[in-house]
Amino acid sequence: MSFLNTIYWVVWKDLISEWRTRETISSMLFFALIVILVFSFSFAMDQDAARQLIAGIIWVAFTFTGIIGIGKSFTSELQNDCIEFLQMSPVPKGAIYLGKVTANFLFMFAVEILLFPLFVIFFNLEVVDSVGMLLLVFFLATLGLAAVGTLFSALTVQIRAREVMLPVLLLPLAVPVIIAAVEATRGILNGDPYNFYSQWLHLLLIFDIIFTVVSFWLFEFILDS
Amino acid sequence: MSAIQVTGLSKAYGFYRIFEEVTFAIHPGTCFALFGPNGAGKTTLLRILATLQTPSGGQFTIYGQDGVAERDAVRSILLFIAHGTHLYEELSATENLQFALALRGQSLEPAQLKRALDQTGIGAYGNLKIRQFSAGMKKRLALAKAILAQPKLLLLDEPYNALDDGGVAITNQLIQDTMKRGGTVVMTTHDRNKAAKIATEGAILQNGHMQLLSPEQLQTHVLS
Repeated sequence: MSFLNTIYWVVWKDLISEWRTRETISSMLFFALIVILVFSFSFAMDQDAARQLIAGIIWVAFTFTGIIGIGKSFTSELQNDCIEFLQMSPVPKGAIYLGKVTANFLFMFAVEILLFPLFVIFFNLEVVDSVGMLLLVFFLATLGLAAVGTLFSALTVQIRAREVMLPVLLLPLAVPVIIAAVEATRGILNGDPYNFYSQWLHLLLIFDIIFTVVSFWLFEFILDS
Repeated sequence: MSAIQVTGLSKAYGFYRIFEEVTFAIHPGTCFALFGPNGAGKTTLLRILATLQTPSGGQFTIYGQDGVAERDAVRSILLFIAHGTHLYEELSATENLQFALALRGQSLEPAQLKRALDQTGIGAYGNLKIRQFSAGMKKRLALAKAILAQPKLLLLDEPYNALDDGGVAITNQLIQDTMKRGGTVVMTTHDRNKAAKIATEGAILQNGHMQLLSPEQLQTHVLS
C-alpha cells in the first residue's frame, strides 16, 4: 500500500468521525469564543491597548484551542483499543503520523478561519489588504503546532493525567512557533513592510520542517512503546 | 518450518513474573488452543505474538521471521481479534472494514465487503454505525474483517465471548477455513467444550509455566 494511500485513509477516517460527532470542532469553537469574549470585554475601554495586544490574544486563543483538538486526536483511538490496530497495521507509521497531522491541521485551520472574523469585528481590525499574508502566518504556525502537537498527543495518550501533561510538554516546545506567529501577525496588523517581519515567517517555516521531520522519525517509537 | 516457534519466552512486569521459559512450536494448518486460569498470562502471550508487547526474555518467530526484530514483516501476515475489537464507533460497519483493510494494503469491492458481512450475519447492518452495535455484532464484524483479510496467522483472544450459537458457528467456520488455507490459528479460551470441537493442539498456561497437551490429553482436558 502506498504511503500516500495510508495518509488518505487516516485523514478520511478522522474527518468522517469528526463530521458525525462534531465533538472536537464544537469544543474548540466554544472555548475560543469564550476567550474572544473575555478579552473583548477586558479591552473594551482601551482600544489602543487592545491593538497592541491583539496578535498575542489571537495566538493565545488559537494555541489553546488547538491543544483541545490535538488532545482529542489520540484519545479517540483509545475507544475499542483502536490504537492497537494502528500499532499493528503493516504500514509505515510515519504515514499514520502525517495523516493525523493533516487531520489536526485541518481542524485547527478551519476553526481559525471561522474565528478570525470575530476578532476583526470585536477588535475593529483593518485587515482587507493583509488577509493573504495573515492566512500564510496562520497556515505556517498551525502546521508547526499540529506537527509537534500530534507527536505529544500520541506520547501522552496512555498517561492517566494526559489532559494536564499534553500542554505541559507541548507548550515549552511550541514557544518558538507561538512567538514567531505573534511577531509576524503583529507586523502584518500594524501595516509594517514585509521586510520588517519576514524573518519570523522564515523562522516559522524552519520550525515546521524541523518539527515535522523529527516527529515523523520519532512517531514509530512512540506508537510502539 | 513451524508457523510459530517460541523459545524460552518470559514476561515480567517489574519483579512480577507472568510466565517464564515458555517453549513451544505450532505447525501451519493447525488450531492451537491456550487454556489456563484468569491471570495466567494467556492474553499477554497472545499480545506478544501479535507484536503488541515485547517479551522480557527469549525469542519467537512467526513463519520464520523474528517477532521483535522483523516486527513489520510479521504484522503483515497476522490478524489479532482482541477483546477491544479495534472498531471505530463513528464509522459504519462497511467503513470500518474499508479502513481496516486499506491499512493492511487491501482494496476491496463493495460486493466483497457485503459478502463478508452476509457471511457473518450482519449484512443488513452494513450502514449502521458501530456505536449502535451490540457486543456480539461487533465481534461478528471483527470476524468479517478476518474473513476478508485471510491472514496466515489468526490470533483470537476469547473468541466465543459475547457470541450466540450462530456466532460460534461462524467463528469455527473461519478457523476451519484458515486451517484449510494452510494458515494457523492461536486462541485463548475458557470455553473448553467449544474449543474441543475445533482445536487440533493445545496447552495449559498456569503458574508461569506451560504444559503442552497431546491430542489425547487435549480431549481429556476438555472433557474434564
